[in-house]
Amino acid sequence: MTEYTVSVQAYAKAVLHCAKHPWATVHGLLLAEKKEGKIRFVDAVPLAHNWTNLTAMFDVALQQAQQYAKTKGLSVCGYYVAYEDTKATQLSASGALLAKTLVEADESTVAFVVDAKKLTPGSSGAAFVPYVYAEPQWKEQSNAFGESGKGNGTKGASFVLENNRVVAVTRKLVDERAEVWVHDFDEHLDDVSLDWLQNQALSERIRTT
Amino acid sequence: MSSSLKLLGEIRQSSERRPFEVLKLAEPLLNKGSIAQAGDEVWLVYEQVFLAAIDEGQIDVAKAVLEILHNRFGEESQRVKRLYGLVSEATGHPEDAKRLYDDMLEKDATNVLANKRLIALLKSQGQYVQAIQELVSYLDTHGNDFEAWLELTHLYLDQHLYSQAAFCIEEVILQQPANHYFHLCYAEISYTMGNLDVALKEYLRVVELSTDNVRGFYGVKLTADRILDITSSRGSGKSKGPSHLKVENAPQKAMLERLSQLAAERLLAIYSGSGDAMKKTLEEWLKL
Repeated sequence: MTEYTVSVQAYAKAVLHCAKHPWATVHGLLLAEKKEGKIRFVDAVPLAHNWTNLTAMFDVALQQAQQYAKTKGLSVCGYYVAYEDTKATQLSASGALLAKTLVEADESTVAFVVDAKKLTPGSSGAAFVPYVYAEPQWKEQSNAFGESGKGNGTKGASFVLENNRVVAVTRKLVDERAEVWVHDFDEHLDDVSLDWLQNQALSERIRTT
Repeated sequence: MSSSLKLLGEIRQSSERRPFEVLKLAEPLLNKGSIAQAGDEVWLVYEQVFLAAIDEGQIDVAKAVLEILHNRFGEESQRVKRLYGLVSEATGHPEDAKRLYDDMLEKDATNVLANKRLIALLKSQGQYVQAIQELVSYLDTHGNDFEAWLELTHLYLDQHLYSQAAFCIEEVILQQPANHYFHLCYAEISYTMGNLDVALKEYLRVVELSTDNVRGFYGVKLTADRILDITSSRGSGKSKGPSHLKVENAPQKAMLERLSQLAAERLLAIYSGSGDAMKKTLEEWLKL
């Protein structure tokens, strides 16, 4: 049974990436540290908010993210995507292919689709819907995070948020418009001074909230 | 003209979607009445504020602005009328919006604004096939609306219909051959489809048409290197590589190596202005 934990930094960055481009499909990677069979997503690396079905820059970004992860002792084993269509929680065909590229490099890769309904002010619980690879498909783990962030996924994978403040902290950051601190690879390509891999100012903001 | 008005004008020009900033800039202008300084352009500013308010879910602001526009332009203005449709869409009454757009189109089948709003509505309702059909039929009579061709490109891409998307972006390029953005789109679609020779050609066009285009140079290096990889492994008979990758019309090995090297040099030059972390990331990637 693989236990996956999502830290506030990873969760908040991914959600803020969505908040910055609310009318677009956005996607990115999740970096994890692995210890004793447990996988902890510690950071999110936002990739794109445009042409997310096209693979060229994804290939470049993935290579650079994998190199970066290695220097930090982390693994790229998560893919997140939030669709323009707020009702969509199914991993799309292109999402499945992109996530498959990751799983071929690291078999513990999981994909997360962001459920927009769970991002509305009144809702609670994690907005991530996990997908686990069971060749040749990705299988949805619905209700995997459970009501109070306690994992109850199936097929040998369980998912939790690192603590019960993750959602509240993220909500606060969204309210404060902290999304201006998110810079994805798309933005980096227009301005190479933007550090899309670390987004340090944002990490600091999350840490101090 | 105040600096806020100037900024609002720039945002209108660039067609960027920045509703939060638009509202922040416009609020004091509206409250103090200084929006009148915009002269004839004031109606464009009102329309801009309306759209921003809709985007931000500030329906009351949108309705207030809409009333101002209504009072100025009256019942018969199609441009104002379709804004009522937007309010319906934003407040969760898509049926009312659809009825309005259908109505407008019945009275005038060539009404561009109503046509486009209808297509956007269908898209937001998840009726992609119908949205595509409507847009295709719109393009039958408005074949020189390259923005519509671009929208159709996006609709096809959303449906993973890459060759149809490629056809559409080719149309856009026919009409706007000097715009590097469209060549970039075409390059990326071609790369995704495995047409590496076309992708390389288009990426080269991108860097030719613009200065310091990072995406373009990454694309040149990426495709040139991949083609070199494939042609060498195919040539040696060791492995054929995925057979759907097309490299037939690519340049010769020596040229590919030169292009790859040039792209790397250009990237290093551009990155010399960025921080150490990003510079190091590029250098490591170039070693791959």
